[in-house]
Amino acid sequence: MVMNNLSDVEIIESVKKGNQADYSVLIDRYKNKAFTMLKRMLKNEFDAEEVLMDCFLKAYNNIGTFKFESKFSTWFYRIVYNTALTKLSNSKRIIESEMSSIDDLHYLQSNYNADDFIKADNSLLIKKIVNELPPKNAAVVSMFYLEEMSTEEISDVLQISVANVKVILHRSRNLLRDIIEKRNLLQEII
Amino acid sequence: MNNINDEIFNKYLDKELNREEMDRIKIAIENSSELKKKYEALLSVNIFLKNVESESPSTDFTKKVMEKIEIKKASAHQQKYFLFTILSLLGLIVCGITGYVFYETITSIQASETSDLVSNYSNSIGDYFSSLFGKKNLSIFGSVLSFIMLVSGYFLYDYQKYSKKNFSH
Repeated sequence: MVMNNLSDVEIIESVKKGNQADYSVLIDRYKNKAFTMLKRMLKNEFDAEEVLMDCFLKAYNNIGTFKFESKFSTWFYRIVYNTALTKLSNSKRIIESEMSSIDDLHYLQSNYNADDFIKADNSLLIKKIVNELPPKNAAVVSMFYLEEMSTEEISDVLQISVANVKVILHRSRNLLRDIIEKRNLLQEII
Repeated sequence: MNNINDEIFNKYLDKELNREEMDRIKIAIENSSELKKKYEALLSVNIFLKNVESESPSTDFTKKVMEKIEIKKASAHQQKYFLFTILSLLGLIVCGITGYVFYETITSIQASETSDLVSNYSNSIGDYFSSLFGKKNLSIFGSVLSFIMLVSGYFLYDYQKYSKKNFSH
């Protein structure tokens, strides 16, 4: 209980001193949000859990090299993002990088017809659409909304410019808005 | 009013515009039902994304990761001991060879140049290594050494493979 109140820096210092068990506090702190991001990026629950485990092991093995120059979350999410990209490229899936226009996301709109929205729970359906965003968009949306990271921090994780992060974020929002507008779901999700 | 595009709407939502621009957009939204509808849709997406809860991996996930860390730590120790044993063995062999070379060098120097004590001492060491690495034993010793090296190499490779498998599952 006391450990849960400690900051990331204090926990890392404790782990570095040899208190290996304290690392479980960091795992509990980040596992859900990182898992959600990975599930959105990899589109698969099993892969997401496997990659997440790999990320926590990588972070533990390299914790000695963590110099406290950035937040632990930034450092850890960089590991998560890069490991997910490696997994995607190993699986020979198409990695959607930055999209040149909103039209690139229109395939998502066409995947859903009006009947889907009548039959299913609307919020679940929108959640499903969020889960189907291209990997980079999914990563940006997850870090911005779930982890509440700033666009500067996200740019640090993704190693792209802040302007690019904003473009990806805006396009993802616009896509969801277009779908909501088309299906008249505004009232339901508010 | 027409120049309020999606980008400006997003910036307005994130409060990234200056005060004048914020006021201008606010008035434009209030005066146009079309813009109001667009903005409210974007706002609702923002609220929705903020409220989406994160999902959880399996319940024993933390335990599984900590177990893997334990296994890795244990295997690192075992690997260290294994390497220490191999290196010690190699060290002994190197010592033996050095001793033999030392003996050969000493015997080649004339007895008058060395004291009796050193000469006797080195002779006894030399004799020991000479018998050990003599023509008879040398081939047996070499064969045994090669066999040990091959077996050690196999076990080291097998152990590495086992450790790697443990981590990937």
